[in-house]
Amino acid sequence: MTRRMADRPIKIAIIAMGGQGGGVLSKWIIDLAEQHGFVAQYTSVPGVAQRTGTTVYYVELFPEALIEQAGKQPVMNLTPVEGDVDIVIASEMMEVGRALMRGFATGKTTLIGSSHREYAIIEKQEPGDGRRPTAEIDRIARETAGRYICYDMDSVARENGAVISSVLFGALCASAALPFSREQFEETIRKSGKAVALNLAGLDAGIAAAGGMAEPLPTVASTSALALPDHIDPELAALANDLRAIMPDSAIDLAMAGLGKVVDFQDIAYGREYVERLRQVREADRAAGGQEKGWALTAAMARYLALAMAYEDVLRVADIKTRSGRFETFRADVKADEGQIVHIREFMHPRWQEICEILPAGIGRSMLESRGWNRLTAPLFNKGRRIPTTSLWGFSLLFLLGRMRWMRRGSLRFATEQARIGQWFDMVLALAGDDYSLAIEVAGLQRLIKGYGDTHARSLASFERISRAVPMVAGTENAAALIRKLKSAALTDDEGVSLNEQITQLEIAA
Amino acid sequence: MAERSFAKEVEDLKIGKGVTFHGEGILAVTKALLESGIAYVGGYQGAPISHLMDVLADADPILSELGIHFEASASEASAAAMLAASVNYPLRGAVTWKSTVGTNVASDALASVASSGVVGGTLIIVGEDYGEGSSIMQERSHAFAMKSQMWLLDPRPNLPSIVRMVKAGFDLSEASNTPVMLELRIRACHMHGSFVAEDNKAPPFGLHEAMENPRRDYDRVVLPPSNFLHEHEKVEKRWPAAVDFIKRNRLNEFLGGATGDVGLIVQGGMYNALNRAMVLLGLADEYGNSEIPIYCLNVTYPLIDDELAGFCADKKAVLVIEEGQPEYLEQNIASILSRRRLATRIHGKDVLPRAGEYTSKTILGGLKAFFAEYPDIGVDDRTDAPMADTALVALKDTVPGRPVGLCTGCPERPVFTALKLVQRKIGPVHVSCDIGCHLFSILPPFNIGNTTMGYGLGWAGASAFNVEAKQRTVAIMGDGGFWHNGLTSGVGNAVFNKNDNVLVIIDNGYSAATGGQDILSSRATNSSRSTNNPISKAIAGLGVKWQRTVETYDIGQMMRTMTEAMTTREKGPKIIIAQNECMLNRQRREKPIRNRMIADGKRVVRARFGVDAETCVGDHGCIRLSGCPSLTIRDNPDPLREDPVAYVNNDCVGCGVCGEVTHAAVLCPSFYRAELIYNANAWDRFAATVRGAIISFLQRLVDRRRARFTLEGASR
Repeated sequence: MTRRMADRPIKIAIIAMGGQGGGVLSKWIIDLAEQHGFVAQYTSVPGVAQRTGTTVYYVELFPEALIEQAGKQPVMNLTPVEGDVDIVIASEMMEVGRALMRGFATGKTTLIGSSHREYAIIEKQEPGDGRRPTAEIDRIARETAGRYICYDMDSVARENGAVISSVLFGALCASAALPFSREQFEETIRKSGKAVALNLAGLDAGIAAAGGMAEPLPTVASTSALALPDHIDPELAALANDLRAIMPDSAIDLAMAGLGKVVDFQDIAYGREYVERLRQVREADRAAGGQEKGWALTAAMARYLALAMAYEDVLRVADIKTRSGRFETFRADVKADEGQIVHIREFMHPRWQEICEILPAGIGRSMLESRGWNRLTAPLFNKGRRIPTTSLWGFSLLFLLGRMRWMRRGSLRFATEQARIGQWFDMVLALAGDDYSLAIEVAGLQRLIKGYGDTHARSLASFERISRAVPMVAGTENAAALIRKLKSAALTDDEGVSLNEQITQLEIAA
Repeated sequence: MAERSFAKEVEDLKIGKGVTFHGEGILAVTKALLESGIAYVGGYQGAPISHLMDVLADADPILSELGIHFEASASEASAAAMLAASVNYPLRGAVTWKSTVGTNVASDALASVASSGVVGGTLIIVGEDYGEGSSIMQERSHAFAMKSQMWLLDPRPNLPSIVRMVKAGFDLSEASNTPVMLELRIRACHMHGSFVAEDNKAPPFGLHEAMENPRRDYDRVVLPPSNFLHEHEKVEKRWPAAVDFIKRNRLNEFLGGATGDVGLIVQGGMYNALNRAMVLLGLADEYGNSEIPIYCLNVTYPLIDDELAGFCADKKAVLVIEEGQPEYLEQNIASILSRRRLATRIHGKDVLPRAGEYTSKTILGGLKAFFAEYPDIGVDDRTDAPMADTALVALKDTVPGRPVGLCTGCPERPVFTALKLVQRKIGPVHVSCDIGCHLFSILPPFNIGNTTMGYGLGWAGASAFNVEAKQRTVAIMGDGGFWHNGLTSGVGNAVFNKNDNVLVIIDNGYSAATGGQDILSSRATNSSRSTNNPISKAIAGLGVKWQRTVETYDIGQMMRTMTEAMTTREKGPKIIIAQNECMLNRQRREKPIRNRMIADGKRVVRARFGVDAETCVGDHGCIRLSGCPSLTIRDNPDPLREDPVAYVNNDCVGCGVCGEVTHAAVLCPSFYRAELIYNANAWDRFAATVRGAIISFLQRLVDRRRARFTLEGASR
């Protein structure tokens, strides 16, 4: 018995989710190897990936020539061993992270990954932004793996009408981690006989993209002059230039977007109110020494004030639903072919309250409070409606509603919103001098207000609950941190349980 | 129709002597069964042997040709009881299921057949669902082999070894009149490899011959005094016969070096992982050549005392590599060596972990600890060092888990949406879950379900809560579990005990979680099985008075029905049959038809859903109430908003649940249903032209005005 300690299989781990073709990719690798002098073994745990989980496919390739010399079959493994994998292929960025976490990628490993994201349910379900950052994974991958090829393979696949597995196969080819030529990779796809042209296109694009990596993103140079398209109303152009003059560089993009949003929501006069309020913010910010803090308060208010002023109501939804741009967007979103007929039905659930809210304040209030009206209209508003926006009557209904923004200024909802905005705005400005960070946190409370119907009511309640807690904590050392904690509790738990507990504790302490 | 078709692969089952067979582990097992001359085969699906059942179903024509009967058993208990055919007649038979859960269900019949003993070889192929990817409690099948005295085979995980042990299993069974279990771990079941085939064999004695010439022998019946006779027979006759057979046929293997101070004893199924660990420590090469003696147990029960004593006699110590706990082998070896007065030290769970899967990395750690005590043999760890702890911590904080969930368009999703919304109205309820896809309700985003007690046991799991209370309990059961045993253990039990609670039966037409196999109430027609036997009739027959059948996608109706069931004054068991076809199966059937129609130029309307990014506020309430994989998130196009907006990707099958959810929960006006028309007819085109002209005229009017009041396109 002579031991042949130098003989080694090539070990490949593929980490993929359902629908990403991990099985197909494994099959290609096996075919490629078996056709060119290797014995291949492949295992997986099927079923799990398909039902949205993630799974590890594992392939070992052993050269036939070595087996002949040894005169004995190799003993191949069924699972990858930490610190002993030659090639790791991960079909998504968090799966790159998982491969690293499980110790599959080390200095000898070629790590091939797609930088795109498929969000996990725990990221998607948060009321705020639960998305996990990818920069750290990218950095660790770069430091850990011997060779690291990573780009958005999902986009490359889609641009070529191919599936991501073919792009991954291309990246594998480009990595030269397997002892096979590009022609042999291509031949494998041809021999499989399925969607050959598209898979070859994916393979080619995968190779090309792997070679053309690491191009830095172009950075936009900052200029101070404002270039506005000619067709813009002179009054709006003047207002935009006013805003430009009072805003620090760091906040100008947000402020411009904000002004655009507010004018789009109502009119130029409303935009002027926005600019006027921002002027007050800027002054308060200056008085509070904002310059040293990068004008953080001004930037925050440019964002949140616009969101507060351009609240969601029936008029705005109707307007957006009927815009030409929106028609283009939904056609793109549902992947309609050129010229294909697409019918759209909106899922809307208008409530009596929302109708009253757009009526003139006095009438709206009395109708909302009238039992008779409520009883009478209840059957009309107790179920959802499907409005066919692409039909003439559906479009006309929403279109006309969308043209009624002249009613908004006098409406019940407008009055309520302006009162709320006023209180919140005054509180932010009042806090700025004494506790700059707290003022920023209070400005950010606007982020809590979301949605329509029940969701809106719930989120508004959280906003008000925390706003009432502000005076209780103002003046204490960690006030900003406390408010931030409350805000994040409200953003991660829509049932409001943890927010309630925390506020109750605070009230007891006070 | 099962999720995966093996119609192409089963053709390979016909190959004869000398031809090399390439394929998956389960196909190799099927081929070995055909080469063994079996007369009957049966089983119940479940990972990791679901595909074995699917292969057998697809191979039915080949089986019939050889005169083999295949039974898609109602449960593992039915399958195990089928082995009774081999008690009186020289009929070879095999059954298969997921272990240990299936073995639990089967154990009544297994104990009986093990007591009676068999004259025809019987093989019980258990797929061991242990370790990564497992969905059940972590236990060992080994205990069943010991308690009923059945022999347990655990072959090395390569196809030639597995095939050899299947065949040897039948011979061993006949030589010792004992049923034999063959344990296959999940990755071995799905391993792609090759072996050299033999010819298929028709059973020498047919089932019909037994039926036409019945034999009776009271000594084989499990009743006094025969049962006491069996007990003696087991230890005095069958056990020694098995030991003799295993020794003579060398089913266990002595690998590695011939002599040495220390040795390794390993379960056959663990051998490949062990060898890789040894390679990485410089103790072996990739072909299994090593100086260290290895005793590889392809038979893990019974142990062969002589072989063991011979292996241990000249050694200071042995290490037992045995996955799972309790460490039955280690205890058994200790007792054998002690009886033989051998002083060899036994290591095992002192250097290897008690719990968890034994990967090469785990074994490598055990070997290092073992050889540290016996330093004559130097080890050299060749695996790369793990990454720094700080990086690991950063990754652990970042990388999210991916809990399994219901598929895109799954008809079970709206049931749980409705249950979540109903609880907002009537308060929280205790939910007793079952086994099946619907159990994913326990995970995010639904987080519904308090316990799960086993297949078909959803309602029985809530049977203690049968007292007056202000809130009723809800139990969930799938149609698979219902026919498996829920009909009697759940519904019959509730009727008899006058239960006043609620059961929701998810009737999706298949045993969906195990791969979409047909069941009694499947609405598809199946030429070889009887389907279309509705659940509603079965429960009416049992005496259930309050039952409602609800179409699952109608969330409003589902909520009303649930609320009624939970609050009605009517006493007695209340059952809601939530009905709709499994979307995976439906798509598999309908998608090719639709694509063909589109290609043929026929008018086809395809529905799917979308979300308006401009009106979506990024609260994700829709996701928390749906969890559909195709309902995901993307960057908010509004630079002022920080939270991502909802987005329906192109996997959407247009089931409409997200739209129903926004209605039922009064969420937001962002969802829309799009109907895409393929091969539009003349009327479609005419109407679209007229509508399009008017709509775009109005839009242009507004666009002109808006262009003056927009800052889009402004730059600095």
